[in-house]
Amino acid sequence: MKRYRRELSVTACLSALLLVLAVVAPAFFGRQQLLTTLTAAAPVLVAACGMTLVILTRQIDISIGSQFALCSVAAGLMAKAGLPMPLVVLGAVAGGAALGAFNGWLVAGLELPSIVVTLATFVTWRETLRWSREGEFVKDLADGFQWWGLGQGRGQAVILMGALGVFLIGVIFLKKVGAGRFFYAVGSDREAARLAGIRPAAVTFGAFVILGALVGVAAVLNAVRFADVDPKTGTGLEMQVIAAVVVGGVAISGGRGTLWGVLVGVLLLACIAPALVFLKLPPQWEKAIQGAIILLAVAADGEKGKSS
Amino acid sequence: MNPPALQIRTGSRSRPWLRSELLLLGVLIVESLVFARTGTHFATVGNALEILRLSVEIGLLAVVMTPVILTGGIDLSVGSLLGLCAVCFGKLWRDGGLAWPVAALATLGIGGMAGGLNAVLITRLRLPPLIVTLGSLSLFRGLAEAITRGVDNFTGFPPSFLMWGQGYFGGVIPAQAPLGIAVMIGVGLLVHATSLGRSLRAIGFSPEGARYAGVPVGRQITVVYLLSGVAAALAALVYVARVGQAKADAGTGYELLAITAVVLGGTSIFGGTGSVFGTVLGVATLAVLRNGLQLSDQPGELAGILTGVFLLTVLAGEMAFKKYSARRVASGMLQTSTASSKPASS
Amino acid sequence: MKLNTAHLIPDAGVSGSVASRAESVLRLTGLTKSFGAVRALRGVSFDLKAGEVHALLGENGAGKSTLIKVIAGAHAPDAGTLEVFGHPVDRLDPATAHRLGIACIYQQPALFPDLTVAENIGLRLEPATAVRWIDPVQQKSCAVEWLRRIGAEISPDSEVRELSMPEQQLVEIACALGAGARIVIMDEPTSSLTQREVERLFAVVRDLRRQGVGIIYISHRLEEIFALADRVTVLRDGESVGTFPVRDSRNQPALTEAELIRWMVGREVSQLYPPATGAPGDIVLSVSGLGCAAAGVHSVDLQVRSGEILGLAGLVGAGRTELARVLFGLTPADSGEIRWRGRVVRIRSPREAIAQGIAYVPEDRRRHGVILEMPVAHNLTLAVHRTLFPGGWLLPKAEGVLAGEWIGRLGIKTDGPQAPVGSLSGGNQQKVALGRWLVTKPGLLILDEPTQGVDVGAKGEIHQIIRGLAADGLAVVLISSDLPEVLGMSDRIAVMRGGTVVTVLPGGSTASAVMAAALGQPPDGTGV
Repeated sequence: MKRYRRELSVTACLSALLLVLAVVAPAFFGRQQLLTTLTAAAPVLVAACGMTLVILTRQIDISIGSQFALCSVAAGLMAKAGLPMPLVVLGAVAGGAALGAFNGWLVAGLELPSIVVTLATFVTWRETLRWSREGEFVKDLADGFQWWGLGQGRGQAVILMGALGVFLIGVIFLKKVGAGRFFYAVGSDREAARLAGIRPAAVTFGAFVILGALVGVAAVLNAVRFADVDPKTGTGLEMQVIAAVVVGGVAISGGRGTLWGVLVGVLLLACIAPALVFLKLPPQWEKAIQGAIILLAVAADGEKGKSS
Repeated sequence: MNPPALQIRTGSRSRPWLRSELLLLGVLIVESLVFARTGTHFATVGNALEILRLSVEIGLLAVVMTPVILTGGIDLSVGSLLGLCAVCFGKLWRDGGLAWPVAALATLGIGGMAGGLNAVLITRLRLPPLIVTLGSLSLFRGLAEAITRGVDNFTGFPPSFLMWGQGYFGGVIPAQAPLGIAVMIGVGLLVHATSLGRSLRAIGFSPEGARYAGVPVGRQITVVYLLSGVAAALAALVYVARVGQAKADAGTGYELLAITAVVLGGTSIFGGTGSVFGTVLGVATLAVLRNGLQLSDQPGELAGILTGVFLLTVLAGEMAFKKYSARRVASGMLQTSTASSKPASS
Repeated sequence: MKLNTAHLIPDAGVSGSVASRAESVLRLTGLTKSFGAVRALRGVSFDLKAGEVHALLGENGAGKSTLIKVIAGAHAPDAGTLEVFGHPVDRLDPATAHRLGIACIYQQPALFPDLTVAENIGLRLEPATAVRWIDPVQQKSCAVEWLRRIGAEISPDSEVRELSMPEQQLVEIACALGAGARIVIMDEPTSSLTQREVERLFAVVRDLRRQGVGIIYISHRLEEIFALADRVTVLRDGESVGTFPVRDSRNQPALTEAELIRWMVGREVSQLYPPATGAPGDIVLSVSGLGCAAAGVHSVDLQVRSGEILGLAGLVGAGRTELARVLFGLTPADSGEIRWRGRVVRIRSPREAIAQGIAYVPEDRRRHGVILEMPVAHNLTLAVHRTLFPGGWLLPKAEGVLAGEWIGRLGIKTDGPQAPVGSLSGGNQQKVALGRWLVTKPGLLILDEPTQGVDVGAKGEIHQIIRGLAADGLAVVLISSDLPEVLGMSDRIAVMRGGTVVTVLPGGSTASAVMAAALGQPPDGTGV
């Protein structure tokens, strides 16, 4: 089990945190509280599945927060225009995939560094959205939008099922489908991958497209929780997602990591904010703790890389 | 004896950045001419000085980002660090009861320590600067929010401090302008006129090559990230003095502006080539864009969009040029082989 | 005197008769390939039969690696024809070679370090199609089966990064066999194996031969060739010396090791090299018991005198570059003693080495020796910043004078001191790499493959420069895989094998004597 050491140690961290909460603040495990925490984490999990593919291939995408906002507003506008929910979902996913394809083209096609490319698209999309919406919320959505028109309880269930479905498909895809293995291969050794008949540029492009599409899904799963769509939504999402992926044991140098680790990473980070509240600690520490966890996680990777 | 060597040498690229700087200067002039027509009161001395006043903070960050990128690295944490330093300064002055010069000095120390944290993680643990500074971006902003509890806003600074952001020397020259220009000249000298600057380029071109030449790579990389941290603290002080308040969200997104200015200025994101002068032109181009659009009654978001588009265009152009010259060198090597190989003996 | 080591290993050459009746699975004619100024292959012809082990023999740089890379599709030849199973092949890329049943096991395995053994084997054996199910159970059992077939005791669940180099090679072999390769190329597969692993590998190779697989086998260990090969082709300077049967019709050895060595080495050194002048002076550097576990160097004893050129000979992987890196502080020594001009010193970084007066011109010129994008002048002064620019300020005038002086002294052909080094020819780049260290006025100069990839004219100039430096009293350590160069230039020759110096031969030793020491053979008289 040496291979899954990281997954196990993060699980241990999460268990310890939950144990402390169980003793100090059992209210954390109240049904409604738990559901709220999990539904808030669901979009992060979905985006993290896509980010895992991108980081596995040794790239990064920090524009997903802006993609998320664009997809959310697009979904809201489509719903407002009276499109049926399945079409709204489809539209958001297609839009996300297109945004991802643009990043993928710049990174895989033009061989530009992904960090700067996505930094540029990050600001461009965000400002474009601000320009077109001028901060205005998308309001008066169709009745079928919030909680899918099912009411909060069943709506939450649908969100959780959706996120879990994406996650499980991702697990199966990475473990059991030929293409899934390509992402590991390209990130592990690009040249060896080429010799094994894999096209690294195509795989990299694919990772960005899938990430974009999943950001579209995440945007819808998030948007349906509210009565209207805030165009500023998704600010800082990239940090949450990258943090969860890195903490979950996906190596930033590519080629290593599992979605199970990412799941634990997402849960761990999702618990921090409510845990701060329940432990009566100032909630403003969330971001700082998140940053410290990222640095600790990559530092652990650095030590390991040096010793091997 | 070696005719191919002469063939490859046709385009002298000993100062390859000069071309992109001239290009940028052209863009800046065209931009100014356009805004002079469309903007009200754009082409006035007062407005020029106002642009200068508003661009000192980004200028400080960008100028010091230049040596960082010259080594092939990047520092994404400067915007957050600006925020952290701003609230630290406010906290030290208001709640710590320190005189503002003392608090300012302590803030510079905090900036240096934060830069040192980045440096240690990058050089000691050999982690990629990208992910290290992405993590510290989150950490610094988070600490700023934690210190202010998300809501605290430090105001009411003494006039002797505010003067450095709002005052004018002789009623004309913005007070922070000499500071910005001094840092610009200092870093310019460091990058272009010292042995350290030369070795930073060597590291950017080829870290291994530099190591084989006896350059203490780790130590010099540490220096640039330390400088970057101190510059962020300095920028924070200027920022607080200019706007008169210190909040946790100060400097959000500044890292992007700084990096964009550096890359626009012709510094290669892959390290090695670039100049501080180019960066200054990059800062000016962005500042004029923002100011000119504003005076032309265009939405402020357009500046952000154009910034991103500029950045992508410049990068794509750089990559295209790189591929083109690589192909030229390859074809040059081919000529070398045919010219110097002797007939095969059978 | 005939040396026959074939009896050492039983079962040698049983299937020699199979080879003679089988048809050619691979036939190359008139293959030519150049890299820049270097002609790696000059009209090589070669054929491989089914069920044959065909050994490929030659010194470092004789063209073996290039030849197998052409066969594996990694390099496109400049001229010549390639026939696989009787069909001419125009364009061969790695994927096509793979499809045709050609598998190459490189010294540095091309595996995915982050994946498990089973996943690696799966990725290589199963088609590279995106839409298809992976059955982990079947994948694992397949991996287990192939590992068992070659007798490797490797867990299919272990990550490749945790395997030793020989284990990784065995995984490579399992991949090749599993892919149903009919032509298997093995590039020094035993270089890092233990005796037991070697025997197991031989059993695998013989098994393959029985199944009619054609095997191209590269090794520096002559006894392996006698034990395993049916035929041997000797390459020298990119040309084929000839192809010889290892055994005659009565299954007796048809060759001697001495003959093979002579063919590999070729004529003894001619007078192409400048003559030595003057006598060596005092001992400059003396190391005893020097070792560095990380670099794979151990218990090295060596002295270098001023005014002398000490040749450092040995095969690829013998530890020559690694020893140089230890002396230069790139991988500091962890045992033994270094005496510099009689004083014990510690060298923990290149800076400390430079401070003592040790200079190292590395093997990989383009990556380590020079900084291609930087101007000639900046490259020349990079190692002397502390003395040239005492206050830390660049002094362009002083730099220009110094650079101009050395450009003139070394005859560097450049448009000017501001031209980037990348625009110079290979030989002139090498002069810049050398000049950078001469500027430091060193006491000891270590040259690692100083004439690799350099055209003939510049090669002669560099030899003249090196000889001139020694005449001026500089101690020179010359690492070169070009045996005639080592023989022609050196006053003494230290031969390395397995990470240590095994013997120091006097100047004027024969190529055969050096080769024999490098190969670990007893000295042999017939080659003289």
